[in-house]
Parts: sequence; C-alpha cells; structure tokens
Amino acid sequence: MKTSRINHLIAFAFLLLLSITAGAQVASAQTPDPGTTGPNAVTREEYNYGNSVFRPVGFPISVEVRASIHYPTTLGNGPYPVIVFMHGRHATCYRNTTATLRWPCLSNEQPIPSFQGYDYIAQTLASNGYIVVSVSANGINAYDNNVTDLGMQARAELIQHHLGRLNTFNTTGAAPFGTKFVGKINLAKVGTMGHSRGGEGVVKHYVYNASLGSPYIVRAVLPLAPVDFNRPVVNNAALQVVLPYCDGDVSDNQGVHFYDDARYNVPGDTGAKHTVQVMGANHNFYNTVWTPGMFPAGTGDDWTFVTSGSTDGHCGTGAGNKRLTSAQQRGTGLAYLSAFMRAYVGGETQFLPILTGDAPPPASALTTNLHVSYHAPDTTAKRLDVNRLLTSTNLTTNTLGGATTQSGLTPHDLCGGASPQPLHCLPSTQSTARQPHTTASARSTLRGLSQLRTGWGAFGSTYTNDLPLGARNVSGYQAVQFRVSVNYNDLRNPANTPQNFSIVLTDGAGATSSVRVGDVSTALFFPPGTVGPVPKVLLNTVRVPLTSFTGVNLSDIRSVKFNFDQTGQGALLITDLAFASAP
Amino acid sequence: MRLVNTARRRRGWKSILLTTSFLFLFSTCSSLAFAQDAPVSRPDSDTNANQEVTVTDILKLQGRVLGEGANTKAVGQHKVKSYRVEEVTLPGMKEVRIKGETRTVGKAFRLTVKGGPFPVRALPPVIWLDDTAIGYGIENEELTEITVITYDESALTEGATIYLSYGDKKNKEDRTALPEKLKLNGAKGDNQ
Repeated sequence: MKTSRINHLIAFAFLLLLSITAGAQVASAQTPDPGTTGPNAVTREEYNYGNSVFRPVGFPISVEVRASIHYPTTLGNGPYPVIVFMHGRHATCYRNTTATLRWPCLSNEQPIPSFQGYDYIAQTLASNGYIVVSVSANGINAYDNNVTDLGMQARAELIQHHLGRLNTFNTTGAAPFGTKFVGKINLAKVGTMGHSRGGEGVVKHYVYNASLGSPYIVRAVLPLAPVDFNRPVVNNAALQVVLPYCDGDVSDNQGVHFYDDARYNVPGDTGAKHTVQVMGANHNFYNTVWTPGMFPAGTGDDWTFVTSGSTDGHCGTGAGNKRLTSAQQRGTGLAYLSAFMRAYVGGETQFLPILTGDAPPPASALTTNLHVSYHAPDTTAKRLDVNRLLTSTNLTTNTLGGATTQSGLTPHDLCGGASPQPLHCLPSTQSTARQPHTTASARSTLRGLSQLRTGWGAFGSTYTNDLPLGARNVSGYQAVQFRVSVNYNDLRNPANTPQNFSIVLTDGAGATSSVRVGDVSTALFFPPGTVGPVPKVLLNTVRVPLTSFTGVNLSDIRSVKFNFDQTGQGALLITDLAFASAP
Repeated sequence: MRLVNTARRRRGWKSILLTTSFLFLFSTCSSLAFAQDAPVSRPDSDTNANQEVTVTDILKLQGRVLGEGANTKAVGQHKVKSYRVEEVTLPGMKEVRIKGETRTVGKAFRLTVKGGPFPVRALPPVIWLDDTAIGYGIENEELTEITVITYDESALTEGATIYLSYGDKKNKEDRTALPEKLKLNGAKGDNQ
C-alpha cells in the first residue's frame, strides 16, 4: 500500500515535470531567436561634424558630433525604426598602447572609437530592418567628472542633438548623406541603449526629451551595466536593465534602481519593465573596443579591479570558474538587446516571452545562465498587484486590502525601503556592493527597494495573502509572479544549494493547487561567489503559469500561499507579488 | 614656492571666463560623508554673470604646495604612489557648503593622488582621509593623477591616511591606502 502510494507520487511528479518541460519546449519552439541575422543587406557609414562642435549647457567644453549608422542597404521599406546607442566612460585617446583622457586628442594620438564597440549588435538589428546610430561621447568622458551630475545632462543633450541630425536627414537631407535618408527614418519609433555611464545617459535622455514635449517618441530604453548616480526614472516606455553579475566596475549593480524606482512611480504606467541578470558577465566585454585582444589600448577585464578577484570561484580565473568568454557575453547582449528593441520599438511581439522569462534564453545568447525580472504595465488587464510590500501595513494587509498572515516565519519584516525600514537588508558586515537594491547613489539620497525579509526553520511554515471580494477572478492573467532572492547571508540557506518551496492557490470551494517554484524557475539559486561584490542579493522574477494550477477555479481564488514545504529551513528576500500577463 | 598645477591642460582666461557657475546647478547632497557639501546652487545661466570659478577652472589655477609625498613605488590594487596638497587662491569669493553650512571662501585646496596609470571607470574615484570621503576625484589627462577639490581646510588632517577607492567604499578593504600619511609641513593655517 505504502509502496503503491510512493509509486503514484513518483509517477505524478514525473508527469508534472514532463508537462512543464514540454511546455518550456513548446515556448522555446514558438519563440524565434531575435539575435539571428535578418534578410537585409547592411551598409555601415559614419558621420563626423568635428571634435568640438556641440556644447551641452553648462558643460566645460564643446564635444564631438560623430556617429556610426547601420541601415538596410536598399532602404526599400522605410521608414525604419531607429535605435540609438551611447557608450560609457572610457579613455578617450591613444597612441600605440597608451590610453589618455583628454579631448580633443593630441596630434600624435587617435580617438578611441568606443562607439564602434557595439557594431556586432547594430549589424544584426539593421539586417532585421532597423536603422542603428551609435554616438561617440569621448568629449563628455574627458570632462564629466568635473560636473556635479557626472555628465548625465550632457549625455542627454548629445543624444537629442543626434536625433535632431537624424530628423534633418529624414526631412530635408544633409551632408554627408544628401537625400538618401529622406523619409526613411521613423523618429516616432525610437529605442535607446546606453552602456555604463551611457546607461544613465539614455534614462536621462528619456526624461529630457519628455521635458521638451517628446519631439521624438522613445518607446524603449535599455541601460546596460549602468550607473545610476542621479536616479532619473523612465515611465510609460519599456525599460530593460542588463546587470552583469561579475561587473568589476559598477560592481554594486546600482542600475537595478532604474527598475525598482519605476515600478509604482506613475499610476497607469504603460511601460513594461525588465531586468536581465547575466551570470559570469563583466562590465567591459559588451564593447569590443574595451575588450582585450580586440583593440590596442585601454582594454581590460574589469573584474581585475576587485581586490583578490581572481580567486573567486564564480567570477575569478581559477579552474571551474563560471565566467563567460567575451564572445558569450556579447551573445547575451545581442540576444536580449535585440529581443527588447525588436519587441518594443519594432512591434515584433513574438520576442516578448524571452523578456518575460516565459521562454528560455535564445541560442544567440550563447549561455543559459541568466535570470530575468518582469514588471507588467499598470493596466487592469495586465497586472493585479497582490502585495507590493512597500510599507509595514503590507505585513498584515496587502495591496488589495486582503489579510496577510504568516506562520513560523522569522524574521518577517521589511527592509531596504523608506524610513523607518533599515537602510539595508543584510547586516553591516556585508558590503553594500552585495546589495544592489539598496546601494547608495552618488548624487541622490533616495533609498532603495522595500523587501520582505523572511525565513523559516521548519517544514510547513507559510506566508499567505488573501484576495478580497472583487479581486478573486484571476483567470484573465497568465501567471502569478513575485521577485525573490535567496538570502545568502542567512545560515539557514545551505551554501551553493538552491532553495525551493510551493505556491498554493485556494479557491472559494476550498480546493487547492500547488506548484513547486523550483519546477518552473531557477530564481531560487544560491548566489555564487565569495570575493568582493559577490555574492549578491538581486531579486529575480518567478512566474508560475496559472495553467499549472489545476483543479482550482481561477475565477474565484481566495488566497495565494507560499508553503515552505520543500526544505526544512531557509531565508528569502521577496517583493512584488502579483498576477500578471505579458505586455 | 609656487607651482603650476598640471592636472589639466592650461587654457586661457578667456576660456575660463566663458565657463560659468551652471556646473553647480545640479549640486545636491551626496550620500558620501564628504567633508564638504556640494557648492551652493547658482541658478544663473551660462552667461557668466557671476564669473564664478568652476571646478575645471580650479584645476588649472596656480597652487601653493602645502605638502607632498616622495614615494615612487606603486602599491595596492590601484597602483597609488604618492600625494600632493595645494592651496589655491580663487579669483573671487565663492559660496560653498561646508559641513552643512553655507560659507564664503576665497581659497580652495587640491588633494592629488599620484600613481597609475589609473583606469577610466564608470564609478568615480573617491579620495579619503581616514574615514572621511573628501570628494569625487578627477583624473588628469595622462591618467597619472587624481585630484579632489575641497574648500574645507579642516578636512586636511595632519597624519591622516590617504585612500583611493572607486565609488562609495566605506569598507577600508575596498580602498587602497597610500604608503605615506598626510603631512602638511606646517604650511597649513590661516587660509580661510
């Protein structure tokens, strides 16, 4: 009898795993790879109006107006959506193998063409029907530490200046292109990507363009390994922040603030928000001009900035490390940047499952070791917030007004958000670089992400959110989701072992259905590394498809319960519990 | 002894006069425990109505050396070698915030860490004296010096350990200490 029950359980588990795996395979099979070369032949040109021709307001010097432009050679099907790239802070000039920081360069030096470092992405996007402009910002890099905002307004103005140039190309035409681009550039479909300081630059540009009445319609903003010194916010446009786990420069992954700050900033926000945490990736290898062996000067693996970094088991250089090669890292940039821009600027919605995590990383990413977050647009059809976990009230009453209860959990409090919450979620012995959501900002006193800090010491501890009358029909949503990280600093989590627990939905008739998180998500991984800024607690999204919950009436769900039934102890940081659908 | 600062290339006074106080328009509180706060905002335009001296200007002004180290061997993660402290007489009085108070000063102080070549990073360099972050540093063109400007003479503590970090690194393990302590050779005093 007992053996029979075990056999039944094994069979059930096998069938469940099979169905989930099959589902993932179907999603994978149905989602094309955004990083593959498209049908268009591509032409690459540059325009260069000089080294000292544009003076951002209040900036110490005039800077260059130079950019590359990739476009479908025939320009036959325009107007084409426009993607603008801006590189980050780097040395500006070089002679032989020596890099310097001045602008303009001396007569015996050459400019370092950082703007050319993303050609591998521009080429693929252009082949798929996009015009891609990559802007040189060396003049800003040479003087941005001299200004209080560290050059962000200047970067915003420089991008806007280039969009103005594109507008001229598109309307009347101008040298060096004549009338080639007249009617071919769609400035109502603009996407921006900025790397490093350029990451905050594109966010600042979004805000600046909006302050001017949005003469150009920016639909998607992608900060890549960004800084966030001043905490500008993107709302009502798509946002995707790429966060390299082994970033040795912006080692605190402070750019996650862009996602966190935007979530509930504007009611009715139509913009979807995403993060991609790329395990094993550093800061520099997204740019070929910053990558050792691919340019003669100023290159480097930024992880070497970390004291004793080479000894780290994940990010270091020893045997068995999990670092990505530079080619793999470019693969992640190509795949996720292409998916994001093509989905939100070009309207190629077939790539959305990659961004939400409903589909696995595409082949062009060259790795599967990454994690995503997704925050749905703030519309009734797309998102029902169950518990935003913003204030202490949310420990007893959730965002819907339903009761929130727990049993057997300790601690069970909020951290990282507005006062009186503690500033950080981990003790002061842990570097803030290991806590991206609450790391300080250079030019802002804003605090970080409010998180539920909780843990259990016995099987069967629970955390439950009731859904009140009027909020019980969740059948229109695709998934129940939340963001979570294993708290590596809590000894109840065994090192290097993923956590697991169950999500239980209960309906009005008392029927329940349970899904193990570990069967549908890798977000409960134990953050790897032991040196400097790693391990990190960065919250990633778990999305559990509602189709996985069988035997309950999704039109009458009464509660969402986290049942800590898979391991005897553990500790997590949690936020953003919601029902949600893809954008 | 009067030295000409070499942190940035020289520019003529015409250029200096064209540079205005707008640089400080965005000045806000920093999360760092800086010895000085950001200068008071001067929301004037780029017309140089006040002819207020900017950070870029101060880097180019002549300075009087108050103290200077002599070590020539690079040490630590950031390859630091030595330091230099200079007093700079401003061309006019300047309103700044020091320890939360608005003050009018006529002098600035440059604290320069020497070594490198220093990387050009996204996170700004920060120069510390003991556990006080003096401010964000600015690299010179050859990437052999990083200079921070302070208006607070009291921040220049005789015998303090000088550190360099990138970003706000309160943990000393994340900073590189210079091998020499700050020595002002008795030159400090009566500068405010």
